[in-house]
Amino acid sequence: MGRKRNQHKSSHRGAPMRSHHSSQRSVLPVITMPPFKDEHILLIAPGSQMTLAQLGLPETFTPARFRFPTRMFPAEKKGEYEPYRVHERRQVVKVTNGTDAPKADVEMKDAEPAAADGTPATETTVKTDENTQNNEEPTKTIEEVFYEEDPASDEGAIYPIENGRIVDWPCFFALLTHIYNTLSPPFHTPIMLVGQPIWSARDREAITQFVFEKFKAPAFSLMDSALAACYGYGTATATVIDVGKGKVDVTAVTDFAVNEHGRGIALEGCGGDAMTDRLVELLGPKGFTREMCEQLKRSNITEILPAGTPLPGSSATARQGANPAASTGGSDGEESAPRGPGDSIQTGIEGDNGEEDEGVLDVAAIVSGNPTEYLANVEKEKTITKKGAVDPKGARLPNSKKEKASFQFEEFVQLEGEKAATPGARQYVRRTRDIEVSVERFLLTSPRSKDANRLTSGILEDIATQIHHTILAVPDATKRSELWDSLIIVGCGSKVKGFTQALLAAITQKFILSPSATIFTSEIPSNFTTPLPTGANTPAPMGQPGPMYHPAAHGVNPLLVAATHNNPGIPGTPSMDPSMVSHYRSTGHSQTPTSVKTLKLPEYFPDFKDQGNSNAPGASSGSAGGNPGAPGTSQGGHGMEEAVFLGTQMAAKVFFVIDQGLSKGYMSRVEYNESGPSAIHEYIL
Amino acid sequence: MNPSNPPQAAEYGGDEVSAIVLDPGYSTTRAGFAGEDAPKSLIPTYYGKYNADGQEKLVFGDDVFVTPRPGLSIHNPIGKDGIVEDWDMAERVWEHSFMSRLTGTKAGNPFQNGLNDVSADELPTEMEVESEEKPLSDSPLLMTEPGWNPAKAREKTIEIAMEKWDTPAFYLARTGVLAAFASGKASALVIDIGASNISVTPIHDGMILKRGVQHSPLGGDYISSQIKAIFKANAPQPITITPHYLISSKSPVEAGQPPQAKYKIFPADKAPDASYRALLEERTLSEFKECVVQVWPGPTRLSAPSPTGVSNEDMARTTPGRPFEFPDGYNQVFGVDRFRAVESLFDAKAAIPDPDSTFPPSTPAQTIPELVKASLAGVDVDLRPHLLANVVVTGGSSLLYGFTDRLNHELMQMFPGPRVRVTAPGNTSERRFGSWIGGSILASLGTFHQMWISKKEYEEHGPNIVEKRCK
Repeated sequence: MGRKRNQHKSSHRGAPMRSHHSSQRSVLPVITMPPFKDEHILLIAPGSQMTLAQLGLPETFTPARFRFPTRMFPAEKKGEYEPYRVHERRQVVKVTNGTDAPKADVEMKDAEPAAADGTPATETTVKTDENTQNNEEPTKTIEEVFYEEDPASDEGAIYPIENGRIVDWPCFFALLTHIYNTLSPPFHTPIMLVGQPIWSARDREAITQFVFEKFKAPAFSLMDSALAACYGYGTATATVIDVGKGKVDVTAVTDFAVNEHGRGIALEGCGGDAMTDRLVELLGPKGFTREMCEQLKRSNITEILPAGTPLPGSSATARQGANPAASTGGSDGEESAPRGPGDSIQTGIEGDNGEEDEGVLDVAAIVSGNPTEYLANVEKEKTITKKGAVDPKGARLPNSKKEKASFQFEEFVQLEGEKAATPGARQYVRRTRDIEVSVERFLLTSPRSKDANRLTSGILEDIATQIHHTILAVPDATKRSELWDSLIIVGCGSKVKGFTQALLAAITQKFILSPSATIFTSEIPSNFTTPLPTGANTPAPMGQPGPMYHPAAHGVNPLLVAATHNNPGIPGTPSMDPSMVSHYRSTGHSQTPTSVKTLKLPEYFPDFKDQGNSNAPGASSGSAGGNPGAPGTSQGGHGMEEAVFLGTQMAAKVFFVIDQGLSKGYMSRVEYNESGPSAIHEYIL
Repeated sequence: MNPSNPPQAAEYGGDEVSAIVLDPGYSTTRAGFAGEDAPKSLIPTYYGKYNADGQEKLVFGDDVFVTPRPGLSIHNPIGKDGIVEDWDMAERVWEHSFMSRLTGTKAGNPFQNGLNDVSADELPTEMEVESEEKPLSDSPLLMTEPGWNPAKAREKTIEIAMEKWDTPAFYLARTGVLAAFASGKASALVIDIGASNISVTPIHDGMILKRGVQHSPLGGDYISSQIKAIFKANAPQPITITPHYLISSKSPVEAGQPPQAKYKIFPADKAPDASYRALLEERTLSEFKECVVQVWPGPTRLSAPSPTGVSNEDMARTTPGRPFEFPDGYNQVFGVDRFRAVESLFDAKAAIPDPDSTFPPSTPAQTIPELVKASLAGVDVDLRPHLLANVVVTGGSSLLYGFTDRLNHELMQMFPGPRVRVTAPGNTSERRFGSWIGGSILASLGTFHQMWISKKEYEEHGPNIVEKRCK
């Protein structure tokens, strides 16, 4: 394989290659084009919140290089979209009549500052700040309209994917186009897209058609996200639980095949948002905003405790009310910090808050600076921040034992006027401060009190029930036990500390079969271990196994467990009719689950090691103002919850580079031209 | 073709639209594209109804099994005999079966939340939207029906397909015929063991022999009622099934010991309806059927003495039992009882009496051997040997362990003369979706194209055309 690839490398674009190909590879029916190369593969994994993308496969697979917020903004022209919010900014600038002044024409004279009301845009191009600043000598003033991109705003954003479902097709396609243009792959670049389980067959056809006709891709693969997770974990059989923003998908994959029947598709109200909602419900009355709750959820003090764990200091509630309320009182002031142009300049932020808050708040750490530097500073600042909120005596306790803990809340506040280095341009300061939270931080999976639609006790139970349903629906009963023992939990919603353990605990509590003595003793007839007496007609010792059991036999031998799990046909006693042998099941149709486990991510991808939680807004939701540097900034802290993307890279490597189409892992343009978009169903993985 | 030249727009062949095959059953509704080997969409025909925020909400799909909702009640638009009773809801359930996974929904349609929660209030708007964008306007539709479907129901079906869904072409096929096709046979005696019904359908050259069609209610649900009767009579104490949604946690107990579980208490105004509990009990029972229940393999009946002189029942006792644990943690080993649950499908005398059961006591004429006998009596004598040599077993409940062995023995005893040959696909999904797979094969055949009833023909002749064309 490697030899052949090298051979083509020199001239893979050349047209004369084709004849050469057909002679060399006449065995392979599909190949009519040069082979694909590692560095020319485009991977896109759309999610409700973030769309991961990457061009090329690195030497060792890493988390996605690009993260695009899954949202677009309507452009001025209807039906078109922009990746960033575009602001229209009106500003009075001083202009000379000199040559420097752009467009010094008649209009300038009429344009008085007073006419600022509804004058239409006189300029359609974005002016650079230098231009205006250079005009030192004031002669006249005009009002000009600047269009500028505001990467930190999500005002008016359209989110094309909701709960996995594509709700706005033009916007979704615009997002794909934006990603494609940003990464600008060369022509001969196959595309692999990770498909959400909820996409219907028609949805998939529409996407296929778009990719082939708009991007002119030579090959396209639409990979199921659950299967991609299996590739990431290198397993053929697993139960994949994808905890997303607004929904959870539960999929049983057996032998690299997705079981569509019984699949838990887009369970609503179970994802990360449901946890934030619960925090808002709990903390909202204390003045917490949704953004605070979102960051609290991501912080490392938030933890899901296994059911039955007593909450720390559950009696002490007296102090609890005052502090967070006070701290958020301060925050409210900051939240309403002026945003729009023309508002008064915010001066002395540091002093203000510092003095005002020092007594009330535990800490108010304010950092100002250039937005692009924030992300680089995140780690450094973490260490600097004072941790005044932690009870001195509780400082050494583990988080789950502490009644109160504080997390660092970060927000972007727009900086206006003189504080800003370049007048006119929008600037933001990132402010961090610590907010103390009580035991509410352990309650994020408890059921919402006002939910009129469900009766269950929390999202973990819902997910556990769905897993049970999904595995029970797998027709091959022999696989069920293995499915219970190989759970894969992916998706950013599962990043909350303790999620996996709590989910396993929820399953154990409700579904695990008790290792009762009978389950094992009954499976194996009591005469099984003793040598069979030849021809002796002794059904007696087997008797009626009914409710007989030995309490002493409770300590279960693991070998027995193994034996009952996959019990081969137990030989009949010689006295029996030979046909009796068939009475014993050899299919291993035993009830499940007797155990439940999660799979371990393979160790050889160090970049996917869980790097802990970060509640920095950069990693945060769209409502956090997005990633100021996005796209193109990939932060640390992406671990196993992104195994889907790891699997996508693996699958891309296998389908596009190693197999070269033999495994029917992708649809080529030739096939598309012949059969149209509906042929994608033969390739959907 | 040169990869660096972009292809012409819309160069592809284009109009190869595969038909949708919809196979509505009593317990599940199957839908998928013709030409595929399994239905993409499998949803329960049961749907849920509850009130929240002052609105009535409907729940479709697997969600009814997963999420308990306040005051949730469960309904089924199809009657016990497999004939549609509530047409409005049947239409909704069927629509969900193909819209959720196959055709999707048009943007802006309030029904787009396919999984649940379409309030009655939104219904009118949805209808308005659909009057412009009907769900099947570009897919031909093949539907299935039981062999005893009355003419009225058939006409209503084509009416929905043509007028509500706007399908360009339609065909209605018998489940029996399709199951025979799925086994690669044009002539067969199809024994279909479903959830609410068992049926025997003789097929000759792809045509149903109407006089030979027999059906009785001894399906999977009847077996469940028999299992419940066994649980009730269980010693030392009767077993009650408490579904998972009523249990918050359980602790291990020894076999036969009372369960130690923490139960959930719902306030009376929020507790789900009894029908919901029944649905979820059924779920546990189907697990029980998979793991425990066995058909006595024969050759003689369970009550008959075996050749060695020991009664079969005693023989069954000597086999090791199968353990089963209930959702509340109660567990027990089931010995001979696990054979008795299904015995009445073959031997009416073996039925376990249960006065509380919703099923009337079964009669001998309802058992499988009698149905086969009656069915063969209704067909031409010359055809009988051919049919017996091509017995096709299909339907989810036929997956009961040992079922085909027993059926084979019963048929051989009843018809010692001609050669009896029972065909039953070993693959679980082929057995469960036999009639859907047959439909998938049929609708993708090139020669089938002339069979479709086109929209134009329907407009010319009215719904009655289905009687003439789909025989």
